[in-house]
Amino acid sequence: MRIVHRLILCIGVATAFSVGTLAAYADETCNSPYMSGLIKGQEDFVHVWTLGVQGMGDGSDKLVTIAANPTSKSYGKVIDKISVGGRGEAHHMGFTDDRKYLWAGGLDDSKIYVFDVGTNPSHPKLVKTIVDLPVKTGYAGPHTFYALPGRMLIGNLSNTASKDGVTGMSVYNNKGDFIAKYPMPTGDIRQVKGDGYGYDIAVNPAKNALLTSSFAGSNNYMRDLGELIKDPEAMKHFGNTMVMWNLKSMQPEQIFAVPGAPLEIRWALPEGQNWAITATALTSQLWLVKRDAGGAWVAKDVAAIGDPAKTPLPVDISITADAKGLWVNTFMDGTTHYFDLTDPEHPRQTYSKHTGSQVNMVSQSWDGRRVYITSSLLSKWDKQGKDNEQFLRAFQWDGHDLTPAFEIDFSKEQLGRPHHMKFTASPQRLASLTDAPAADAPAAAGPAR
Amino acid sequence: MPRWRGAAGAAAIVSCAALSSFATEDPGKAAAPRMEFVPLAPGSYTLQKIQHVADAVLLDSTGHSVRLAALTQGKITLLTFFYTYCADPLGCPFAHTTLAALRDRVRRDPTLTGRVRFVSVSLDPTHDTPDAIAAYAGEFTGDPPFEWRFLTARSVPQLLPVLADFGQDVSVDVDEGGRATRTLHHMLKMFLIDARGEVREIYTLAYIQPPVIFNDIKTLALEAGRQAPSAADNRR
Repeated sequence: MRIVHRLILCIGVATAFSVGTLAAYADETCNSPYMSGLIKGQEDFVHVWTLGVQGMGDGSDKLVTIAANPTSKSYGKVIDKISVGGRGEAHHMGFTDDRKYLWAGGLDDSKIYVFDVGTNPSHPKLVKTIVDLPVKTGYAGPHTFYALPGRMLIGNLSNTASKDGVTGMSVYNNKGDFIAKYPMPTGDIRQVKGDGYGYDIAVNPAKNALLTSSFAGSNNYMRDLGELIKDPEAMKHFGNTMVMWNLKSMQPEQIFAVPGAPLEIRWALPEGQNWAITATALTSQLWLVKRDAGGAWVAKDVAAIGDPAKTPLPVDISITADAKGLWVNTFMDGTTHYFDLTDPEHPRQTYSKHTGSQVNMVSQSWDGRRVYITSSLLSKWDKQGKDNEQFLRAFQWDGHDLTPAFEIDFSKEQLGRPHHMKFTASPQRLASLTDAPAADAPAAAGPAR
Repeated sequence: MPRWRGAAGAAAIVSCAALSSFATEDPGKAAAPRMEFVPLAPGSYTLQKIQHVADAVLLDSTGHSVRLAALTQGKITLLTFFYTYCADPLGCPFAHTTLAALRDRVRRDPTLTGRVRFVSVSLDPTHDTPDAIAAYAGEFTGDPPFEWRFLTARSVPQLLPVLADFGQDVSVDVDEGGRATRTLHHMLKMFLIDARGEVREIYTLAYIQPPVIFNDIKTLALEAGRQAPSAADNRR
């Protein structure tokens, strides 16, 4: 807890920009909703992008696959793991638009690993490693992987030159070829100055809107947390903006001042909704980005998460499919919160539970009945000693309480530090095109016209 | 804000296509694309160069072999995959209804005369013979003439490299006995290709917004106009 005390002290004396945190983008409701095959029933597998730990197993970053369907005889067990042959600060993942492939990034080595999870999701295969992001863009720390049709839009955290947080987005096609880069704005737009920092990406096609948030560069997120918080100058270098982009032109149109490292972004997707929500790590607030009566986008803080004075450090968030509820994990106090978002202008916390000594990612199933939590934030920011629990915990959610379902101890199983989670399901009752019946077989669907 | 609703918007129940492949997935109601913004003016933005289209040999509706490159270069091309008996309201019928409306709008724009073609490639060469696609195409290729080519392949193995190049997934439903049926699953995609054979935009269901697609076509036409050598250039 010494680090926590230092952190609180630092926040008290430094500025609003003390320590940021990474988390993010995890669950079924938070995938790019425009890909195919969202799993709206029971997921079969949870894939966990896991940071390697020196001396633990092979020490490598790895994709760990866990059986998550209660009907499986392997339910709650690790059934597969793929090491990538090194430690590059495994962090986040994202599916391609067809959900056949999972792209996973390393925040330190800037490598991107492409896993085939469509052919046999119980045993993913590493099929490609993309290493040219720094050379092609000058950016570093690929964080968010957001599916666009035929492409992957990548939100980066840093750059190769100064290693601070000035960065941009990059686009690759689904074959892994670089297409384009887009710097985060550093100038003024409508009298608000951009800081050039990046973090999460969230798209709303119906509004031609792309919203981004901001965090920090590798000189902060790859630095020992205890040292970082004693460096007042370094503590000033965290993101304080969100940016609304025109998705078609990929040009920034509006910058919002959102102090305190706004991290994960979730759009309310039901028809008629005009808002997205985020949480600020350092100031512990929920922020709403919403169209006003005149049609302009505005950002405003709408609720505190825990007691901001105690620096709970909200990390990952997970919105329900109907956008009426939000899970929020706070890393420092190991608490999982549930907010009622029925009135997004006035979120209300209706439930909380201590779910671990440190908790980071939170992912829920589409139906909201299952909630998964992992523990690791960053290799150099995780807690020390007995508080350095490393786990995946699965819960049932009945609308009133989180009930433990199963748990994987990643330290005991010599796996590493579990971070981002993604779900897959077994392909069944499907054949390949080469198995199609002969021409004289009856048509199942009948002629369309 | 202007609001556009696709022709299939009222019939939002998905039967087979447009969603793929996971047994525990509950497709439920697919959402017709929504559009709640004013599209950018043509030429005010640049479309990404996503990939070059690989060549292949396919069959046209008369049974003759055609090179795909001949139909993805020289004009701005909007290419999609379909199969003639697809009944998904938000699958192939929706795509072709949308394309037919776009065709009519392109026809009315004199700056696009002779500069745009549509290409529809069957996902099921086993059943979609040249005769079958010719019968299907009749509804879309009328008078005045507009180049809308319907293609198939001699065999599935000849089609598979084309699907792989475009990243077009397709799978086949099986019955209770494990036998493949004629119900195909595929993610609806339209590919906008410039006159040099580069894919410049891809529209999946949420992005099939006809005013945007039309402006994207116009944007490529304006870009080609800027790239074309002027008469003065030719004289030099």
